[in-house]
Amino acid sequence: MNTRILRPALAVYTAAFLLFLYGPLIVLAILSFQSQTGGPQFPIQEWSTYWYRHLFGLTETSRISQLPVGDSLVRSLVLAFMTTVVSTVLGTMSAEAFRTRFKGSGPVFYLIILGMMVPGVLVGLGMALLSNFAGIDRAWWGTAFVLHVVYTYPFAFLVMLAIFNRFDRSVEEASMSLGVSPAQTFRRVTFPIIFPGVLSAMLFSFTLSYDEFSRTLFTVGRELTLPLSIYGTFSVEIYPNIFAFGVLTTLFSFTLLVIYGVLMKRFTASRAGRFSGQEEAA
Amino acid sequence: MSTMTTDMPAEKGQSPAIKREARDRRRALMLLSPGVLWMVLFMILPMIMVVYVSFWTQTTFAVEPTLTTASWERFLSSSTYLSAIGTTLRVWAIVLVATLVVGYPVALFIGLFVKNRTIQTALLVACVIPFWTSFLIRVIAWRPMLGTEGAINVILQKLGIINEPLTFLLFSEFSVLVGMTQIYCVFMVGPITFMIARIDESMIEAARDLGASFGTIFRRIILPLSMPGVIVGAIFVSVMVLGEFATAASLSGRKTNMLGNIIVSQVGSLKWAFAAVAGVVLTLIIAAVITLALRIVDLRKEM
Repeated sequence: MNTRILRPALAVYTAAFLLFLYGPLIVLAILSFQSQTGGPQFPIQEWSTYWYRHLFGLTETSRISQLPVGDSLVRSLVLAFMTTVVSTVLGTMSAEAFRTRFKGSGPVFYLIILGMMVPGVLVGLGMALLSNFAGIDRAWWGTAFVLHVVYTYPFAFLVMLAIFNRFDRSVEEASMSLGVSPAQTFRRVTFPIIFPGVLSAMLFSFTLSYDEFSRTLFTVGRELTLPLSIYGTFSVEIYPNIFAFGVLTTLFSFTLLVIYGVLMKRFTASRAGRFSGQEEAA
Repeated sequence: MSTMTTDMPAEKGQSPAIKREARDRRRALMLLSPGVLWMVLFMILPMIMVVYVSFWTQTTFAVEPTLTTASWERFLSSSTYLSAIGTTLRVWAIVLVATLVVGYPVALFIGLFVKNRTIQTALLVACVIPFWTSFLIRVIAWRPMLGTEGAINVILQKLGIINEPLTFLLFSEFSVLVGMTQIYCVFMVGPITFMIARIDESMIEAARDLGASFGTIFRRIILPLSMPGVIVGAIFVSVMVLGEFATAASLSGRKTNMLGNIIVSQVGSLKWAFAAVAGVVLTLIIAAVITLALRIVDLRKEM
């Protein structure tokens, strides 16, 4: 009886919750189309793409300086790429190791997981102190990079662990005992099974590193990454160009997500196709 | 083990099974060592360094490795730093309760009342998508929402509910709490939904057939079985909120100073030893919170 009231009530509540989640982003997207004379608030003076053009330096010089995104964007992309490669390789290796039971696997597991739990400001501080102590210059490709891996490697590890848990070892062994070389076995048997995991691990690593802020703050040195140069503009007055930037960077993340989805779908579809073909042949 | 080896053809006194085990262990160690080394060098060592430097001597612009407890004494006798501990704990407690209260009904709806798997997944994805946009953009998005000329004030004034814009909405602790609740809610909704969705349908039906009201079913079945999800969510939210500084810095107008903000400002003025003390205090608080959470529910047993 009372579930009959509860169900629609919870449905309405969930809708309100989604509004709470999306509201600020919707407002931000609307205000990014503010005109040149309007501020970062309502009302919209006139709909325009002025702040998007401002972002790319396509407008005549105004008193509001352009967001310093150019170089820092390139740095962030390179850093995210480096982080993706290293943490995916480390994550896959560690997960592969966890397929055999060994002494001390518990502490090692927690050691790796700790990397995603430790607050960024703490490891950032520690790394800065350590580099001062050792006399190493802080740089985005050095001290910041190693911390990005500390953060994303546990995610890659967990994803790969989930994949390997469902991976029957005897399939690989069967291939080996039939005389297929280890390289061929990896290419034809192991890789197709772990590929979805590798793709997910890469997606996690890339997006987490690209957006990483608190670990980078103390360790980046003089040349800033994208989130840091954006954060620098928060202390002064904000303008709708930040909103326009927010919309674009969100679109970029969604593009990555769509590419991931397409790759995943194409891969699973082609595998399903191959297997059904084999059944027909048999 | 010894009974097994007698059946097998012994080779140099060792069975192939044992040999294979040893080989597997060597392989596992080899595969693990780069990752473990990375974590020890770039996570454990920096953390030890924070503890070590907290006992160094702070001069005007540098720290010297002469051991002293001066920084600790100054930290523990300063009202600014002690109130930062209070602020951190208060913000943490409020955001933790807020994410739970706001998130639990959503998790209940998605996990229990939505039977269609596709809709269930779609709703969860809808909750996760905002997580996909930049953290800093999600923080700054609250400014045009809560400001005196922001969306909420404009709407409330249009509706005639208020005449003057509400000024407490932005650049106050309120805006920090709202912002954090929105940003970290997903980490509560996810694990709880997962645990509720795993509850065996027949158990709830049996309770209903025996005449239990929904209130009883919720209290006796759903709530206890969803507790591991609550604890996992609470650990995620706690760790992230306790180490926060960016939301407080951008939305409070520097009025709300958490331990994270203290660390950032101390590093900014090259007071490394004080920053390290604040870092050690923060680590202790986080360790205590996680220990407490794991006391309540034994996760290894429940998962």
